[in-house]
Amino acid sequence: MPEVQLSAATASQSPLASPAQTMIDVQEVTRRYGQTLAADRVSFQVATGEIVGFLGPNGAGKSTVLKMISTWLPPTTGTVAVAGHDVQRQSLAVRRTLGYLPEHNAMYETMRVDRFLRFMGEIRSMSGGYLASRIEWVVDKCTLADVMRKRVNQCSKGYRQRIGLAAALLHDPKVILLDEPTHGLDPLQVVAFRDFIQELRPGRAILFSSHILAEVMAICERLLIINHGKLLADATVAELRAEAERDDCTLEQAVLKIVTREQRA
Amino acid sequence: MNVSNALTPMQMIGGICVIARRELAAYFDSSIAYVYTIAFVVLANSIFMNEFFLTGTVDMTGFFDMLPLLLVVFLPAVTMRLWAEERKSRTIELLLTLPIRPSQAVIGKFLSALGLFALFLIGSLPIVIMLMSLGSPDLGLIASGYFGAVLFGAMFLAFGMFLSALSGDQIVAFVSSAILGFALVLTGDGRVVAVLDGLFPALSVGTILYEHVSVMPHYDAFVRGVVQLSSLVYFGMFTVLFLWLNAIVLERNRV
Repeated sequence: MPEVQLSAATASQSPLASPAQTMIDVQEVTRRYGQTLAADRVSFQVATGEIVGFLGPNGAGKSTVLKMISTWLPPTTGTVAVAGHDVQRQSLAVRRTLGYLPEHNAMYETMRVDRFLRFMGEIRSMSGGYLASRIEWVVDKCTLADVMRKRVNQCSKGYRQRIGLAAALLHDPKVILLDEPTHGLDPLQVVAFRDFIQELRPGRAILFSSHILAEVMAICERLLIINHGKLLADATVAELRAEAERDDCTLEQAVLKIVTREQRA
Repeated sequence: MNVSNALTPMQMIGGICVIARRELAAYFDSSIAYVYTIAFVVLANSIFMNEFFLTGTVDMTGFFDMLPLLLVVFLPAVTMRLWAEERKSRTIELLLTLPIRPSQAVIGKFLSALGLFALFLIGSLPIVIMLMSLGSPDLGLIASGYFGAVLFGAMFLAFGMFLSALSGDQIVAFVSSAILGFALVLTGDGRVVAVLDGLFPALSVGTILYEHVSVMPHYDAFVRGVVQLSSLVYFGMFTVLFLWLNAIVLERNRV
């Protein structure tokens, strides 16, 4: 259990969600790398229609948790389910449901952008008119038309991030995991990304990580705060604001308090 | 939401083909394919022509005899990048969180490497045409030689790719595959066998290695035109074994 639970607010309280619509279900998950505890009994749910921000300093364990949801890392203990499918026993079903933008947004550097997107579609058994229309949609939404015939390694950082996002959304996934999606985007692109994510919200569960509070606050209404592998808070932005007002401090200070309270404990 | 966790045979084959195509394109995109093929064809053909003019016989045995020593260097250069590059550039996480099984990725990559190797061999076909225009070579013997070369290459590609997955570094993958390759080829050389036998006369290590481990007795059989079951089993077994180990390494080594 998180040591500081600002509220019991979870998916079940959202008007859009019912327990049946829980798309990401992380239960008491622990992950060890040798002696290091990268995730320590982390539990949370994300439901359809929710955009949840995963906030924490670098090395807090955000990526580790996302990697476990993505099926890339097996949890040491605990269970993770995506759309009701266990990540270890039904990993193929999980990977079909997920759209995942991994940390560092690694892509095949020497591939042309159009071929990379086509590859990402074909490997998901998409073809013909459907694949063409989906590529057209992501290219339009991520404004990639200008770089389609360029190689990935010839694209700027902002474009690369959008190519990664396009690849993650190509198959119209119902669960979207984005690891530091705004990394490398300029302020204008961040605004565009924010609007786009809001547009994607209906019918989808979106979990994204960031270490920038302002960014998380701008995009989502619920956030998970993690540090040293422990989930410290699972709260709505409104609750965090109320807490800040009560303590007469800024939001940043309120978040910092949660993190340092844990360190003192 | 009900999404299938199964993989139909069509999806299995489809995934393999998509990966094989991407990998083969990557060889050409990065010019590796052009450089390696040209270097291999020039070297192989010129070494053969030198011997051809000396012996003056209308036969390709000389080509197939020197082929293993060339492949020991060229094939690790083909396979070293297959997994090490994916690990280094972290695309392995992207690839293995797609709805495919690791075995599909392994077979797809293996087929792409085999495709590039086939291009090497196609580059030697002018020799066949030249021999046919000069006389009447034994085409059955040549076909058997090529068949042996393909099996030899498949096995070397399989363990080279496995070592690439194991090491995660291209140079280490190249060097370890080349050393293993040399060991498998040199244990088939009469002089090496004699030296090893001389070192441990009671154990006759050289003979044991020659008979049970070395690739050369099996390859040489094909070059001499003998297609024997034991050699087919040898090549098939080791190729499949290394591909299988490769898939296991991918399942286990996730960081």
